[in-house]
Amino acid sequence: MADKNRDSEKAIIVEGLVKNFEVVEKKQGIIGAFSSLISPNKKIVKAIKGINFSIDRGELIGFIGPNGAGKTTTLKILSGLIYPTSGFTQVAGFNPWDRKPEFLKEISLVMGQKNQLWWDLPAIETFELNRVIYELSKSAYKKSLNELVSLLEVGKLLNTQVRRLSLGQRMRLELVAALLHRPKVLFFDEPTIGLDLVAQQRMREFIAEYNRRYKATIILTSHNMGDLVDLAKRVIVIDKGRLLFDGEFSELVDNFAKEKIIKVFFSKGIDIKSLETIGKVKKLDFPNVVLSVARTTAAVAAAELLQNFPVGDLTIEEEPIEEIIRKVFRSGKVIKGRKNTK
Amino acid sequence: MTSKYLSVFKISFQQEFAYRLNFVMWRVRNVMQFFLVFFLWDTVFSDPNRVVFGYDRNKILTYVFGILLLRALVLSARAVDVAGEISSGDLTNYLLKPINYFRYWFTRDVSSKALNLGFAIIEASVLFLLLRPPFFIQTNFPILFGFLLSVILAILLFFSILFLVNMIAFWAPSMGWSAQFLVIVIVVEFLSGAIFPIDILPNAIQGILSYLPFPYLLYFPLQIYLGKLTGAAIVKSILIAGAWSAVLLFSVNSVWKAGLKHYAAEGR
Repeated sequence: MADKNRDSEKAIIVEGLVKNFEVVEKKQGIIGAFSSLISPNKKIVKAIKGINFSIDRGELIGFIGPNGAGKTTTLKILSGLIYPTSGFTQVAGFNPWDRKPEFLKEISLVMGQKNQLWWDLPAIETFELNRVIYELSKSAYKKSLNELVSLLEVGKLLNTQVRRLSLGQRMRLELVAALLHRPKVLFFDEPTIGLDLVAQQRMREFIAEYNRRYKATIILTSHNMGDLVDLAKRVIVIDKGRLLFDGEFSELVDNFAKEKIIKVFFSKGIDIKSLETIGKVKKLDFPNVVLSVARTTAAVAAAELLQNFPVGDLTIEEEPIEEIIRKVFRSGKVIKGRKNTK
Repeated sequence: MTSKYLSVFKISFQQEFAYRLNFVMWRVRNVMQFFLVFFLWDTVFSDPNRVVFGYDRNKILTYVFGILLLRALVLSARAVDVAGEISSGDLTNYLLKPINYFRYWFTRDVSSKALNLGFAIIEASVLFLLLRPPFFIQTNFPILFGFLLSVILAILLFFSILFLVNMIAFWAPSMGWSAQFLVIVIVVEFLSGAIFPIDILPNAIQGILSYLPFPYLLYFPLQIYLGKLTGAAIVKSILIAGAWSAVLLFSVNSVWKAGLKHYAAEGR
């Protein structure tokens, strides 16, 4: 039975998942601390209110939602860290909460703000430890390490004390540590947080490459629209513990990002009124102007600006993710994407 | 399987060396503590013929020396960091890996004990040459065996007490350190025999204490070594220590399971 499940093409199945946290409200001061210890003032926080989705093997999906939407909580449940209040979850054929060694060897959770490397020792020591913890053969370890080291270009950093490394360097080494055992299911929680643009781009390329090369199933949460545009075909949007959208990313953008943002820097004074014919002026801080134009006519609008106005600089951008998400929320209903079968 | 924990042992050893100064200060603290207790009793027993609480100068100084070594073995532990890992969410790192958290920390404790014992032996030798206290070498094999058994139980007892206290952090993340201070620094220090031998206390109190786990950490093992307990008393003390270890280890396991369900894997 279990083996049959493991062979199925679904890497992740989530049905009716609910997670409530019990939060004790803190009172102030020492006496308050004691009184909340004796008669705690408990409050139930509903972090996840019954969500369903499933993910095929080898899929790379983006998990979107504002802070506190329940993204990280879901990832933590899927990796067996926290106990779901109710509902069914299955990852790589296992119930995550059992945390069986066979399950743990198949997965990895990478959190941008969490580190596993031993702070005071060179990273290679952590890798060696992981080799024995995950019971990798010496040859498998070497192969895996060499591949990751060259993909992430960290060869020169292996023998430096972790504390002496920069954040970007450390994040890359964290990735090596998290992926040495070649997990088939990967959870990335804000992998690009705090990284500079070059490092972000590198991280994205790496995630895409890992997905391609090892047919790994990946869930990625991010605030960074760039991460999602580059990587995820399919996205799942959640807010306040509810699933709002599950489908192709392009579908989401088509439905909700009906506009593009043009940022212009004018080199000379212009007639603001004539700008209104091109698009809606969202922000006016001369010589900087932000316009929003219909998605379909963005290129035309930009050309028109360049031709008829003294433009010093111009960029076309997607609406910020928050804007799109807000529109999803404002629409007030659950939108079923193609993937959303439940 | 064993190689996992052997590697943990090695990396833990290296880690201790990364904080050389810290470690040295910790040893200095131990030596100072030793001096404090040593000179306290040395003053009380300045007249070699005086007998107080059934101890004379030689006996009490032997006791104090024995404690120095036994402390390194029983009370050196790294699992004091567990509360911090629970409240900071660093526990997550271990839960994600195919490794047993208790065995992990027990291994780290053992590595800390090995290091501390090594240093304690060197310190004791130097102090021995400086102070020339009387020292008693036990040669009776059955007694040595009883001593060994009682030390192993003491190590298990301390490990489970430490873990239980640290796991408070599952429910009260900010209480970890204060609970630790109360139980480990105050209660254990006073009731284990680290500062004074338990048998200087009134009989009634001794009676009560003998049913608590604390005196089995240092006092009873040392009494066994010093030949103060006879056959039946040795067996009794080992049975009580064994029963406590079983009860506490069982509690550690069930509290752990309950704690994990409460764990929210919070991050920084």
